[in-house]
Parts: sequence; C-alpha cells; structure tokens
Amino acid sequence: MREFLTEGLAIGERVGWAGFGPVTRLVDQLLAVEGMAEALDRGAAQVVPLSATGAVIEPSAQVRVYADATAAALAAGFTGLRVVAESTPLVRTATQLDAFARYEHLVDQYLAGHPFSSMCVYDGAELAQGVIEQLACLHPTSNQDSVGFHLHASTAEFFSGTLSGELDLSTADLFTTALDRTALPLRGMELVVDARGLDFIDHRSLLRLFDHARRRSAPLVLHVSRTGPARIVNVLDVADVRVELHQERVA
Amino acid sequence: MNPTTSADHDEFVHPALLYRTDAEYLDLLVPFISDGLAAGDPVAVIVPGPRLRQLDAALGVSAERVHRIDMTVAGRNPGRIIPSVLHFADTHPGRHVRIVGEPVWPGRSATEYPACAQHEALVNTSFAGRDITIACPYDAAGLDPGTIADARATHPLVWEADQRYSSAEYAPDRVVARYNEPLHHSPADAHRHLIAAPTDLRPARRAIADRASALGLPAHRVADLELIATELATNSLVHADGPCELRVWSDGRDIVCEGRDTGRLTDPLAGRRPAKPSDNSGRGLLMINDLADLVRTYTSPQGTTIRAYLRVR
Repeated sequence: MREFLTEGLAIGERVGWAGFGPVTRLVDQLLAVEGMAEALDRGAAQVVPLSATGAVIEPSAQVRVYADATAAALAAGFTGLRVVAESTPLVRTATQLDAFARYEHLVDQYLAGHPFSSMCVYDGAELAQGVIEQLACLHPTSNQDSVGFHLHASTAEFFSGTLSGELDLSTADLFTTALDRTALPLRGMELVVDARGLDFIDHRSLLRLFDHARRRSAPLVLHVSRTGPARIVNVLDVADVRVELHQERVA
Repeated sequence: MNPTTSADHDEFVHPALLYRTDAEYLDLLVPFISDGLAAGDPVAVIVPGPRLRQLDAALGVSAERVHRIDMTVAGRNPGRIIPSVLHFADTHPGRHVRIVGEPVWPGRSATEYPACAQHEALVNTSFAGRDITIACPYDAAGLDPGTIADARATHPLVWEADQRYSSAEYAPDRVVARYNEPLHHSPADAHRHLIAAPTDLRPARRAIADRASALGLPAHRVADLELIATELATNSLVHADGPCELRVWSDGRDIVCEGRDTGRLTDPLAGRRPAKPSDNSGRGLLMINDLADLVRTYTSPQGTTIRAYLRVR
C-alpha cells in the first residue's frame, strides 16, 4: 500500500486514502507513509471519509464519485488519481459483498480506460477466506495465491473481459458467482473473452462459461494461447462457440 | 452374388467380414460401398491407411464420394470410434448410413486388443434400432484364431467370400465382461498423487505435467495429459464420491496416466456417447477417450481403474 501511494506521487498523480472513521484518524494513517505530509499540504494527497460502516455500496454511484475525482485531479494538473480504499466494512454481509463485487467489476471497466487506479485493502484476519477469494478473483492481480483464476474487465475495448489462471472443480462455485456478478459487457452481440492468460480449463468450467453466454443469448468467442479449449469445444460439439488460437501467451 | 444387405433397411446390421486375401477384401467391400453410393447412402470407410489406398484404387473416381478415414489415426483409441460414427450418422438424419470399420488389424498390441474387442461388442448396443450398416473386415489370415472367435461373438452376422450366415457364437456381453481385465502392475517408480478434494487438483496437475515433460512427452501432449488427469480425478470426486489416486509412469512407448477410485462404472457406454448440446452433465470420459491414444478400463464392485495412454514414440 505504501509503495502504491508513493509510486503514484512519483509519477505526478494525486493519491487518496479512503477509509472509515474520523478524518483525523485517516490523516494520521496517511501521515504514516513517508512523503505524505508535504503531499497533503499541496493537495497531492487527500483523505476520503467513507459513509457509515454497514452501508451497501451503490456500484455505479461509487464509480461516478471516482470518475469525478479523477477529472478534478486532471483539472488540477495531476496526471491521474490513485486511491487506496479500506474495504473490509463494505463486505461483511452477503448483500454488501454482492454489491461490492459488482462495484469492483464496474470500477475495473472504468479504470481500464482512464488514468485512475485503485487498491482495495481487506483485513485478512477478519474476513473468511471464501470472501477474500470472491473478491480477489475479480481483480487482475492480488496477493492471494490460493485464488485459481481472475476474471475482470479488459484494457482493450475489443474484449468483454479477461480470464486468466486455472479453472477446475476447485473453482466451480467461485467461477459461477464471478460470471454472474461481473455480467461482462457484450461486444457486437458476442461475449468475447480474452483468455490468452488462461493456463487450464476443464470441460465443466468451459460449459459453465458457455452456459453463461447462452443465457445471455450471446455467442461465445474465446481468445486463447493454449490448445485445450479448442480440443474441448471440438469433442463436446457445442454450437455458438468460437475459439481463436494466438501464438503469444498473455500473463 | 450381390453381397450387399437387403433393400429393407430399417434396423442395425453389423456383420463381421472375414477375408483371407486382398482379392477377397475388395470382393466383399467394393460392392457394399458402390451399392451404397448408387442408392445415395452416406458412406464412411474407416480402415487402416494401406487398406484405404487399396479401396481407393478399386473404387476409382467414386472414392471421392466416400468419407475416408485412416483407422490407425482416428481409431487408434478404440474408445473414440463409436462417438465419431454416431456423429457421422447424426449428420445424415433419416438416411440409411453405411460404414466400413476395421478397428482390429494384425499389429494391434496386446495392451490395445482388449479395448478393441470391447469396442466391437459395445457397437451392438450403441447402434441398436438405428438405420445403419456397419461392416467390420477381419483379416482371417493375419489375425490369430482367438481374435476371429471374438469377432464371431461380437457380430450377429458373418460374411465370408462365398457365404453369409448368422453367428451362432454371438454373445457380445460376454466379450465385454471377459475383457474387463484387472489392471495390475503399475511400476514402482510411478508417481502417485492422492486427489481427495478439488483443491488437490491444481498441484497434482502441475506435478504430473512436470513429470511427463521430463519423461519426454511433447508440450502439446502435456496439455492433453493435464486435461486427462484432471478429468479422471474430477470424475472420481463427482461420480464415485470419493478420492482418486492418480499414477503416472512411462512404459517405454507411452506415458500412462491411471486413475483409481472406489466407484463402480455401471454404464458400459460411458464416454462413448456424443455430447448433446443440451446436456451439461459430465463428459469427462468422452474427453479422455478423444485425447488419449488408448484407454483401458477395469471396473468391479471394489472400484474402477482407468488407464489413459499417450504415445511418446
């Protein structure tokens, strides 16, 4: 988190620490990071008090808040905005978690096309591993090695989303939940998935993805760098699925 | 004599064609194929490459209208023949379909043969009631007498150069049971992985891929092996409701991946029916049959062992 913030300052971005509790607490927490006193003085660092704990995040409204803040940072001469957000109090209940996961995916789509980046901080001691995995799998990267796969917005407009990692029986429920929560946007009426970083997928997981596309009446297009998915599609003889094989693997 | 079937095609016809010479081979098959083409039937010929070339030469230009497949490639694993033939038949609905299928030839190994015999026996239930003729040539001069005896047990009809008759020895279920042979003797240096929970899959898959690479399996086949090992163990977790022990070793010619569990495989056609688009239940064995060069199975009330072979050299 410290590195994330100081790196932002170094490249001319405005940085923010969004958390709960009184502003003075947030300021004290931020000041613990080297260089932040000076940054606070000149408006390069800010604290953002979040609404009461227990609240259910409203996904699109929260994305608008960050979009406006990014525009303000650019107007003030910064190169962009990066925010570290304390997120544990927003994911304690199932309803909160569901809304937050949808928000995560929405903000992912926003940051794919704007000079905005964010890092969510979770209290691993407080949250169950299952909750952390449900959130971590929606991020392009995380420090959770146990998460088998990642499903998130793509930086390229061409794709509905990006799928990487390994999918098998161990990720079955997590993958289904992630697909439902992200509701990846269609591209030209198709669900176009950048799966070039997908190292493994079993036939049940591929059918799960296919099922998701079918329920949305969209043909599935999979861009892959491994031959496995094409072999599965061939054997299962499923219609409305196209697999495009690329030479290069994308991490 | 006209060696084709009767004009009334409303049921499955499955003869063994016993030939002793190249001339007999052509005498039995060329009219069967030509008559089918003349009647407008879809015809597929799935035989070893050299036999395919003999038939091509005899059929001349009409060979182009035949769906021709080298059995030593497409049917190297006998377990994947039925799904592909069913698929061919399904793409011609409402038509009588003629197939020539030669899954057994001199040179099939002792490891392969039990899977071939079981395949031939299971053809009968797989195509029962379908408007299709599958003629299976057997090289009666080159194959051993036991194999020809099995052919008479797995085919209700026998066609020879000079006569046709019903097989008095027809008993396909007995052949399926007889070749349900215990699979012993995995070598002491086989790598073993116990898959007791879904989270065991990923580390085992990686270790198996590393081992197979070290044993000389090419990269694209390692990807197939990862899928085979995962589908084997997933099948156990889902259907046998218990753990699976995966073992991997090299027998000099193949990389062998074996899955053992305590479930019993009750459906002899599991892994041989083509997937239906609407059916999202497990297709693991179908995947394994398609990916492997050979699949051997042993099932008993105590458990099931499945071995998938991937050719290295």
